[in-house]
Amino acid sequence: MKVISKGDFTSFVNGMIQDGSSKVVGVKEKGNAFAFGDLGTADELRLDYDVTLLPPKKYFFPQRETLLRFDRTNDSAQSVVDVEPMVIIGVHPYDIAALQQMDAVFAESNADPYYMKKREAAVIIGMNAVNTSEWNFAASMGAESVSDGYDIMLTDLGGSYAVEVGSSKGENLLLTHGAALREANGEEQAACSSYSAPVGKSLDFDAAAIPALLRAHYGNEAFWEEHSEKCLKCGSCVLVCPTCYCFDVKDEADLDLKGGERYRTWDGCLIEDFASVASGENFRGTKAARYRHRYNKKGDYLNERFGFTACVGCGRCSSQCLPDIADPVKVFNDLWAVADTKPQAIESTPAEISPGEEYSFVPRNATVVNKTAMGTTEMVLELKLDDGSELGHQPGQFVEVSAFGIGEAPISVSSSPTHRGTFELCVRKIGNVTTKLHALEVGDKVGIRGPFGVGFDTEFFKGKNLLFIAGGLGLAPLRSFFNFVLDNRADYADVKILYGCKVPGEMLFGNEVADWDARDDIDHRMTVDSCTEEDTWEGNVGVITTLIPGVDIDAEDTYCIVVGPPIMYRFVIKSLKEKGVPDDKIIVSLERRMKCGVGKCGHCQMNGIYVCQEGPVFNYADIKDVPEALE
Amino acid sequence: MSKPRVAIFDFAGCEGDELQIVNLEESLLGLLGHVEVVTFREAMKERTDDYDIAIVEGSCTRPEDEEKLKHIRECASIVIAIGSCAAIGGINSLKNHLDPAWYRAEVYGDKADWFDTYKARPISAVIPIEAAVPGCPIDRDEFLHVVKTLLLGRTPDIPNYPICVECKKNENVCAFDRGEVCVGPVTRAGCNSCCVNEGTKCWGCRGLIDDPEKNAHMEVLEAHGLTPDEVIKNFQTYFGWEGDQ
Repeated sequence: MKVISKGDFTSFVNGMIQDGSSKVVGVKEKGNAFAFGDLGTADELRLDYDVTLLPPKKYFFPQRETLLRFDRTNDSAQSVVDVEPMVIIGVHPYDIAALQQMDAVFAESNADPYYMKKREAAVIIGMNAVNTSEWNFAASMGAESVSDGYDIMLTDLGGSYAVEVGSSKGENLLLTHGAALREANGEEQAACSSYSAPVGKSLDFDAAAIPALLRAHYGNEAFWEEHSEKCLKCGSCVLVCPTCYCFDVKDEADLDLKGGERYRTWDGCLIEDFASVASGENFRGTKAARYRHRYNKKGDYLNERFGFTACVGCGRCSSQCLPDIADPVKVFNDLWAVADTKPQAIESTPAEISPGEEYSFVPRNATVVNKTAMGTTEMVLELKLDDGSELGHQPGQFVEVSAFGIGEAPISVSSSPTHRGTFELCVRKIGNVTTKLHALEVGDKVGIRGPFGVGFDTEFFKGKNLLFIAGGLGLAPLRSFFNFVLDNRADYADVKILYGCKVPGEMLFGNEVADWDARDDIDHRMTVDSCTEEDTWEGNVGVITTLIPGVDIDAEDTYCIVVGPPIMYRFVIKSLKEKGVPDDKIIVSLERRMKCGVGKCGHCQMNGIYVCQEGPVFNYADIKDVPEALE
Repeated sequence: MSKPRVAIFDFAGCEGDELQIVNLEESLLGLLGHVEVVTFREAMKERTDDYDIAIVEGSCTRPEDEEKLKHIRECASIVIAIGSCAAIGGINSLKNHLDPAWYRAEVYGDKADWFDTYKARPISAVIPIEAAVPGCPIDRDEFLHVVKTLLLGRTPDIPNYPICVECKKNENVCAFDRGEVCVGPVTRAGCNSCCVNEGTKCWGCRGLIDDPEKNAHMEVLEAHGLTPDEVIKNFQTYFGWEGDQ
């Protein structure tokens, strides 16, 4: 172990600042608190700090970060990965532990170059905490000290710092700037090894029991309602969190309206509109649901996915919550107290994450080759990718469609992959992007990311009896599979489709519906919720479920594929079950706010499931016990 | 395509928001690349009824203002309310909770009978509008954002979350932790928490978010030593109209 005197450490830091090859940041005073900031001189450092207002995460995942710059004059875009070499001084162990968790989150599957490149360019000089806030419970979370994740780690020995080198990056930095290190003597070694982190508060039980505790009490509505009653839905708790990573994506045009940027900015699941979609549906509409989601995401869902509880005990959430309801120690201890049976602590091991392929947010261009208005608010756009490639989608998958300067919207592909050369999107005019898409003319361009998610497994369903059930716009994603089946009719057994919409004028793909009539290898039934005499409607009148009892299927041997508005599922599934259809023969496609499409931004989550990655198509048996799925 | 024609009007207000537009300086020149200003009492003498976009500052405080607003609505295809007074009723709405006889005497003296006046209200209480840019005064960047987005055919991003979100992103020391009381937790963000960034507190000039947690916030204020009366005063500075709705 090495030691550096505090005076020599100051010289080392000043040397780095003067050298100028890396930005040097460290903990400084900010008002009556502390914050990481640019160092003009080492004298500004306050390594005796208790906690910083924001964690150092802000340097790798900034509050606002440009993802790409676009040029509307030629529909082009370029990814912007803004990286600056940086040395960060004074990071407490719990914040290092948090960064290690963020490394896993951003590296998983679609690796995030915006975060990872910044992270690679930084040197972390850790600091074992001298002081701590009254809210800190890092020791309870096992994050009061770390054995890796730093390049250099300092421990305050009074007149000097013990220096542990954690990486070659750290070693090089010390060498390059001539840090005046010497070997530690026995006394210093003893002082360093007897270091114990200061503690603010503690859990009453082993943190490894948190996931089981949360599961056991997910349905304790009274608990969550009572604890969230005073929530201001201000998002402070999640915005200051070192392990929160949810973001929103927005477009801002330049003043010339030609160029502009697409940027991401911190968002949080405690903010009211976090899980809202363009149609107005809010999939987590109550304070209690949002509040519960935060604890479960950190304590259970991320544990399931990554093998760690995404809380390092920094206490920032507690300290920033004005009504004082965000303290995890209080919430977890209260839960523990009300638990009749105390769940067992189960140690989890962080999952090995090997970084996936880098994913940039730059879309591919596609050109509108045809547009057809249908229904009352829908437009079918036929698009061709400019690079000449096929979209390569599976039926049921979705794409993120973008208009630069307006934004992106998730839209399911409604054409079958058997339809070559182009693909179709059935777009309901409901928000900014879809309004813009409706105004496009043939020859205009859009951006396309994806296809994303899990669609209908066309191979799996081969040889099976299929009953398609579509409600309203649900026909759009369903059609991608239905038309695939029609184009490969011999591969599938009995095929039936039930299609319902509100009024006859809202019927989509009317010409194709007419073609169904002419085929004797499929059976189809239509219904409308209501109609007037002018509609000259001769079919069934009533909601879609009224068709189900009369449909002739082998209930135990038919896959029922259901797509419709959120409200429809509960009733359709009930009718199917009454008919004897087993859970695992019901397939659904669920709508959520798919913002990023790549399993990062957090908006589409239902409990622990990323709908954009693991859905939108699900087997009902897999999600029937996922409380947020079909609530 | 010819440039959209813009007319700027003022009702009961201090013209501070129009001043913000003039203060856009270089950005104003950029904006004038896209639009033609045809009426703007603060900056030019021409005026006309031939315009596409009306930008309105100030609240409606007199019945006779309603006719003018309705005329503007007929002329314009897009109406944008700018500033707290036009967007949320603003500081003028303080009078809504005062004795009319008192403030009329205070303002008009012995001529009080000559003037008709009623509760101050945002212009959206009189005519439908396409967008509102709250703030006292407006944030210039947000104003530019609103104009740009409307020119692009989309609705602007006016946040529906409280100021706290921006304070946290800006790493401000919470005003409550500095011994101040603040209405940021119920106030609509979008100003980039400018007042708290400068070391003061949020006064609420951007109005309430949708469905604010007023009760929880009042408890916080009382826990920080405010009497119920002071709490109400804190809320009425800018929320005088909205708070009654």
